[in-house]
Amino acid sequence: MAKDPKSNQKHYLRRDVLRLGGGVALSTPFVSRAWAQTTEINMLAWYGHGEPDIVGAFEEANNVKFVPKYYAGGDNMLALIAQSPPGTYDIILSDAEFVQQLNLAGYIEEMDANDYPFDDMLHEDFTKFPGHWDGDTLFSMMVRCGHLGVSYNTTAMSAEEASSYDGFWKPELAGKVGHFDWHLPNLGMMSLLNGNSAGLWDLSDDQWAAVQEKTMSLRTQVGGFFDYGGTFNGMKNGEMLAMCGIGDWITGALERDGAPVASVIPKEGGIQWTESYCIGKGTDKADIVKTFIQYMLSPEGQTKSAQMLAYPGFAITKAGRAMLQDVDPAEAKRSHQIDGMVNEPIALIDDGRIHYRDIPQQQSLEDWNDFWSEYKNA
Amino acid sequence: MKGQLKFDVYALTWRLPIILWQLLFFVGPVVYMIVISLFVVKNYRMTEAFELVNWARMLTRGYFWDSYAYTLFIASLSATIAMVVAFPAAWTLAFRATEAQRRWAVFLLIIPFFTSYLVRTFSWYVILAESGVLNAMLGYVGLGPFKMLNTHFGTLIGYLTLTLPLAVILQTVTMANIDKTLIEAARNLGCKPFATIWRVVLPLSKTGFIVAALFCFILAFGDFVAPFYLGGSQEPTLPILILDTTKSGQQWPRAAVVAIMMMATLFTVAFTAIALAYRTPKGAKA
Amino acid sequence: MKGRGLNIALCLYVGLIFIFVFAPIIFSLIFSFNSQRFPTIPLGEFSTEWYVKIFNDEDVWKAVRNSVIVSSSTAVLATILGFCTAYSDFRYNFRFKGPYLALILLPPTIPLIIMALAMLAWLSRIGMSGQLWSIILAHSVLTAPFAMAIIRLRLHQMDPDLEAAAWNLGGTEWQAMRHVIVPFCAPAIVSALCLTAAVSFDEFAVAWFVSGLNKTVPIVILEIVQGNIDPTVNAIGTFVFLTSMTLVVLAQVIFLSRQIKSHS
Repeated sequence: MAKDPKSNQKHYLRRDVLRLGGGVALSTPFVSRAWAQTTEINMLAWYGHGEPDIVGAFEEANNVKFVPKYYAGGDNMLALIAQSPPGTYDIILSDAEFVQQLNLAGYIEEMDANDYPFDDMLHEDFTKFPGHWDGDTLFSMMVRCGHLGVSYNTTAMSAEEASSYDGFWKPELAGKVGHFDWHLPNLGMMSLLNGNSAGLWDLSDDQWAAVQEKTMSLRTQVGGFFDYGGTFNGMKNGEMLAMCGIGDWITGALERDGAPVASVIPKEGGIQWTESYCIGKGTDKADIVKTFIQYMLSPEGQTKSAQMLAYPGFAITKAGRAMLQDVDPAEAKRSHQIDGMVNEPIALIDDGRIHYRDIPQQQSLEDWNDFWSEYKNA
Repeated sequence: MKGQLKFDVYALTWRLPIILWQLLFFVGPVVYMIVISLFVVKNYRMTEAFELVNWARMLTRGYFWDSYAYTLFIASLSATIAMVVAFPAAWTLAFRATEAQRRWAVFLLIIPFFTSYLVRTFSWYVILAESGVLNAMLGYVGLGPFKMLNTHFGTLIGYLTLTLPLAVILQTVTMANIDKTLIEAARNLGCKPFATIWRVVLPLSKTGFIVAALFCFILAFGDFVAPFYLGGSQEPTLPILILDTTKSGQQWPRAAVVAIMMMATLFTVAFTAIALAYRTPKGAKA
Repeated sequence: MKGRGLNIALCLYVGLIFIFVFAPIIFSLIFSFNSQRFPTIPLGEFSTEWYVKIFNDEDVWKAVRNSVIVSSSTAVLATILGFCTAYSDFRYNFRFKGPYLALILLPPTIPLIIMALAMLAWLSRIGMSGQLWSIILAHSVLTAPFAMAIIRLRLHQMDPDLEAAAWNLGGTEWQAMRHVIVPFCAPAIVSALCLTAAVSFDEFAVAWFVSGLNKTVPIVILEIVQGNIDPTVNAIGTFVFLTSMTLVVLAQVIFLSRQIKSHS
């Protein structure tokens, strides 16, 4: 650069531009994070668990970044984890009935029960939930749960009609009944309708044949099979007026937005889905993962979980529920998470109207999945 | 001209890369997929084996053949519809439009073909919904609302989105390249317009049209987006079946069986079509 | 006059076809500025909230970065492969030329979902799955035929004697390649780069299967559609459309439209 008065001006302008440019670049979220050297945590979970409304505060406070891979259904989760190299996922959100599969295949680490608030659980079953333990060793920490029943559009079905799974067969709903595209909850509901009650997952050949028959009889009512997004959409825009295989986890999110939908536990009983966190085998971030799980069990985490944008769930600790009632009384009321309310979840469990979801006992998951494909093609 | 024993480095430099690359990353995967159809899945992990159990299981399942028949049907239907719907437009562009207009038309039609099919499908989802744009517009005229999503109609619209631009382009280019004098000759001989199309234009365009229909069929046959998002999996097609089997329990071997059946079908259809396209009719000049 | 009426009807018909083909793109653009979560008529208010949302979403930026890396690498690889094959086809006749050409031209005839499954299984087997490289490798196989076709078309227009002339003037084959063939093919090469990049940029089926935890933009779109659908899809879609369209228009302007003209 020649030395003349003009060049000094150029230099000055260039420095300014650089400074300005640097400021703009740093304000872009991507770049500013890159500067800070955040730890990345790979998460395998149902949709929404890695979103800012759940993990945002934790990420800020601990300088981590969650990288989520979402699945829909336990079978899907197992497929995803099996096709990745070991140690890919640091934290895995699993449905309770699939934890043992994860353990058998060696995908998860042992956990120390003392790290977690087992003394604050709302229900005794939660302290030793089936599937989470192998003998006395903890492999997965329960974090939230929810109930599945009859989900419907309140303008198309009355609460009375919805009080039984038979409501799905209502003639006016022909072509407007949808299925969440996963065999397990749907067939479980059919099993309950057949009166299998507590043994709904443990079906003899005759009972299994009866469930298949019952399911097939619903086929003419069915308007479609949907993934998470499609289910959500279908109920929201009224394409589907009733949906089988789901519960408040879908309708609750829609209700919050003001849609005329609801879920009830019918007289035949409802199914409970239970989610828990596991630590991925071979991860080098076990400590921060543990801290996160503890955070999700703290009152703050439990409240966030109950308010989750993707889909709501029940708080499972007393402190969590208390904080929810404090911070968001409307949601607590909507989801019946207030002691003494009608349809309060813990009372429902105590009354025996809720059955924990499990994998089929006498048939294989493949058998159920096979039938599901057959049903879809019918 | 090149010496028999001398290694023509120059020629090989250009000839080898694609051979090596495709062998490694095209032939390899396809062959491996055939191989894994013989593997067995234990505990959600695929283990090497040599068993026909996956084939036996898949091919004896009623739902596989149901899905197969449906996929074949709906893909053929959509290819037919695409070709028929495209024809008047292509004919106009080939015979009634100026060359500049034709160029612009093809130029414009190529564009959507290379944009995100997924976003376009989702756009249709919103347009066709019961409370969506189309029904709202029909509502103003006092019609509907019609159920368009989660039906065969929805699936067909999706397939058309995929294949119509291609059909129009291929048909236009084919017909634009016909020797115009032949058509004039037919006219001079007293052939009426429609007869001209039926007896002169179409036979001359046979090759191009068959190729176009074949590609429409292949595209529709292998697509899972349209039947899933616009058709509500009513009914599930073979690509959806592949997805289902892959998603649940890591059943790649079974998915591979479905995939191989699909490929076999496509090759058969393709060979038949090409044979038809290039066959000279009996008694006609080549 | 009957002819007039027919002409008008046909023009309208062509117009309808264009509306059908472009409607989803246009609507996506409109919805991306619409405040409603589930758009319908009458439209909601004008709003840029969806654009703001994706602009602030780090995952989207990361996906954009990945997409750019993948599509540009794919473009380069595919064009190189396409050029080699096109030149071999142009210049040489050899035994097994048929199968040779089939090798590069077959991939588009196989449905993407099947290629996706095969790639996933194979790349997992050789330990190359789950990375950006996996997507680049897979996409190069899928897009090379386009590159090959474009470059072959261009070579078709070249006077084969040109190359021979260069040799006669004392040049080696390599020099002829560098000074005659490549410059002649330049527009086709650029066009091929643009087109293969466009195809790779939009491809989601294969990418979804083999990418593991790495996301490209189409995968982000797929996840939104499968998850909590909202019009951010349309906002992202607008950018994706703009990018693809720019690439395709470039490809055509630089090369292809000339071809359509000269062939009529």
